[in-house]
Amino acid sequence: MLIFGGRLLQRAVNGAMALTQVSSNKCCDGYQKVFEHDSSELKCKMKFAIYLPPKAESSKCPVLYWLSGLTCTEQNFITKAGSQQAASEHGIIVVAPDTSPRGCNIEGEEESWDFGTGAGFYVNATQEPWKTNYRMYSYVTEELPRLINSNFPADPEKMSISGHSMGGHGALICALKNPGKYKSVSAFAPICNPIQCAWGQKAFSGYLGADKSTWELYDATVLAESYSGPELDILIDQGRDDQFLSSSQLLPDNLIAACSKKKIPVVFRLQQGYDHSYYFIFSFINDHIKHHAKYLNA
Amino acid sequence: MDAYEVRGRLDVIEEEEAADEDAFVMVQDSPDVFCGDCGVLTVRGAAAHVSHALVTLAAGAQQMKDQLSKSRSKLSEKIIEMENFASNLEEIFITVEENFGRQEQNLEQHYNEVLQTLSQRNEARAAALDEQKNDKLERLYGQLLRCGQTLDASKELIESAQEVHRRRDKRAFLQAIMPIMKRVEQFAREEVDLKLGASLDFDVPTTDLSDVRQMMESINVLPAPSAPVMNPQIANSATETSLHVCWSLFSDDTVEFYELYWRLISDDCTMETPQEVCQLKVKETHCTVSDLLPNAQYELWVTATNTTGISPASERAVYMTVPSPPVIKARQCVSSLDAALIRWDSGNTNPVESYTLEFQEASADGESTATESIVAIPSCECLVQLQSWKRYIIHIRAVNIGGPSDRSPPLHISTTGTFFHLLEDTAHPSLSLSADGLTMFYLDEDLPISHMTFSDNTFNRCVAVLGDLVPIRGQYYWEMEVDESAEFRVGVAYEDTQRNSYLGGNNTSWCMRHILTPSRHKYEFLHNGWTPDIRITVQPLRIGVFLDYGRGILSFYNAALRQHLYTFSCQFLHYVHPCFALDNPGALTLCTGLTAPPYVAQP
Repeated sequence: MLIFGGRLLQRAVNGAMALTQVSSNKCCDGYQKVFEHDSSELKCKMKFAIYLPPKAESSKCPVLYWLSGLTCTEQNFITKAGSQQAASEHGIIVVAPDTSPRGCNIEGEEESWDFGTGAGFYVNATQEPWKTNYRMYSYVTEELPRLINSNFPADPEKMSISGHSMGGHGALICALKNPGKYKSVSAFAPICNPIQCAWGQKAFSGYLGADKSTWELYDATVLAESYSGPELDILIDQGRDDQFLSSSQLLPDNLIAACSKKKIPVVFRLQQGYDHSYYFIFSFINDHIKHHAKYLNA
Repeated sequence: MDAYEVRGRLDVIEEEEAADEDAFVMVQDSPDVFCGDCGVLTVRGAAAHVSHALVTLAAGAQQMKDQLSKSRSKLSEKIIEMENFASNLEEIFITVEENFGRQEQNLEQHYNEVLQTLSQRNEARAAALDEQKNDKLERLYGQLLRCGQTLDASKELIESAQEVHRRRDKRAFLQAIMPIMKRVEQFAREEVDLKLGASLDFDVPTTDLSDVRQMMESINVLPAPSAPVMNPQIANSATETSLHVCWSLFSDDTVEFYELYWRLISDDCTMETPQEVCQLKVKETHCTVSDLLPNAQYELWVTATNTTGISPASERAVYMTVPSPPVIKARQCVSSLDAALIRWDSGNTNPVESYTLEFQEASADGESTATESIVAIPSCECLVQLQSWKRYIIHIRAVNIGGPSDRSPPLHISTTGTFFHLLEDTAHPSLSLSADGLTMFYLDEDLPISHMTFSDNTFNRCVAVLGDLVPIRGQYYWEMEVDESAEFRVGVAYEDTQRNSYLGGNNTSWCMRHILTPSRHKYEFLHNGWTPDIRITVQPLRIGVFLDYGRGILSFYNAALRQHLYTFSCQFLHYVHPCFALDNPGALTLCTGLTAPPYVAQP
């Protein structure tokens, strides 16, 4: 952090993007930190977690963005997923933002666990009263990377994205909507086809309105069907005993069909006995980080 | 003043009890120069030595010392000469003693032989004479006996006649007289043989003493040489078709020439009749015999000849020619990044003792590099450890007691990737292989039953084949190209995987399987009949397989996309072999010799 101290000061003077360290813990020879800042997209204070591997002390590292699922904050992933060991070994910075703007005092935002607070769905809302603050798509794809690249020893050319459940949906759409921006993408139990499932229909109608054509802009299956861009390499793990799989919230078959048709390389693994929890993420996070490292460290 | 006077002076001085030298020198009329010509001390200006070479005492002393040492060295030289002569004399003394000793022995032997022969003849002749004597005596005695008998008979007759004559009775006399008269007349008429039955002469047979004469003559002649001794075969003196033979003569016999004989003795059982003996006349005690068979044993012996005759033959020695060079079987060699397994044909019908493998790095500019060898290889294959990322040239030699053969034709190896071939004798009969052994076809035609020759080693249900691999626990990578519609199983299996089972269906094989259903492509990663549930959206047509014994992993990749498909984690208990199968008619091509791409080998 010392190297960048000067720039920090400058930013503070400019009054933009001031970062405050909330916590720092040494982990696997690197540091798991949490920062807070004033977000210009979300118009509120936002926290994010960042893991800095030992390699970051001496050189720039690639960055993996992790998007968490419904009801999560920046804490769940860093305390439950066990990603620090692999990140340390492969020399990758892992950034885990929060899942929605907080403390905006919007009416109705606390009503449901699957809409509003903790359920940003990684879209830029167009409907009131959400459209001012609920711009998670831009936050994740633009503001956050700018922040990270300016304040940390991050290689701006090497970014990958991953996530769980709603965050899996977020990772897929960010990659599909930004060809070439991410070197690789992976997901755990993602919501593959939101316009066809209850969660997605509820969230999109609230954030985006009634016009379903606007929903398609944020649907991974639809985006895959019309994707054209550099080749992707997508790894998806899905627990077979996931209750949301059986309740048709996730719909991975639709995505697989679309990717097969469009020849988008996907390896989809149905893991016997696993559910939707962080225990499932913990079990396979090393495979995912290795998958990303192949491209980030190439 | 002369020497005597000097001596007298010296004596005086000694009597005066050792006056010091200075005092001596300062005495008047003391000698202060040395006359080189006369060799005496004298005074300068002395009349006797006016025109002689006069030198100072010091110089004179030096001169005399030089002369003395010259004479001394001459004397030492003479002493050395005498010593040498003396030792020479000693040697000659000993040699003469030896030679004479030998001659004495020789002579003694000869004369003994002669004496023996003479006494034999003597006995023989005496025996013959004895026989004759006995014979004659017998005959004479016989005659004597007969005479005696005849005499007795006659006397008897006369007596009886007289008796009759005295008889008075005229009638009885007349009756008896006629027969008696007849007998007497008859008897008188008989001729008496008065000849001697045997002659009184002795028949002296002439003794044949010619061989004795010969022996006496040969005493003064050179003996025939004694048998030479064959030397054992010198290492590395033989070639494939020739032998360098040596022998020695352990005596001082004169030899005009030698005759060397040789004969092929073969273990080759087809030759039952003994081979011909060949021979060669040679003046030296060595020679090179050519036109021989490789890797064959020959029996050799030699005789020495001089004017007297031929020596007995030496003991027979056995020599062996060097074997023919082996031939490396390139199609059956396998290699990886750090080792190679080389296989070859012996090149000889008879067995050889061992093989030697020689390898050296191939240098880019033709410079020769150091050759390393592995010796005493008992069979026709060898595993050699090499360094990665290099090119090597390998030769084999066959070795027997005659020495090593020439080098086999070379084999070039690159340690840049995994090179292997398919083990054709494990292939299911329905699987045919291309000429280069890298493509396999499961043809859509019914082969005649006669074609379906199964053996213990062939797969008999799964249309499969195994590949070969260097038997070292390292890292290996290869790729396969498949048709879109090919339903295949590819992976690795232990060498003894069940031949009547399907690849992946048992715990001795691990493979990736492609199944084509009407609606989609299905992929399985099988081991012990179990597979995880995996969907792959882009059909891999070029599959990379990575095997790492150390980490216990077997990974599959879509090599065209660099996409990782699946990894088995397994600690292989034995060496595994690549395995390939086609479940339906189709084709599969193997790509070997590839270097593992970086994304594959990284942990």
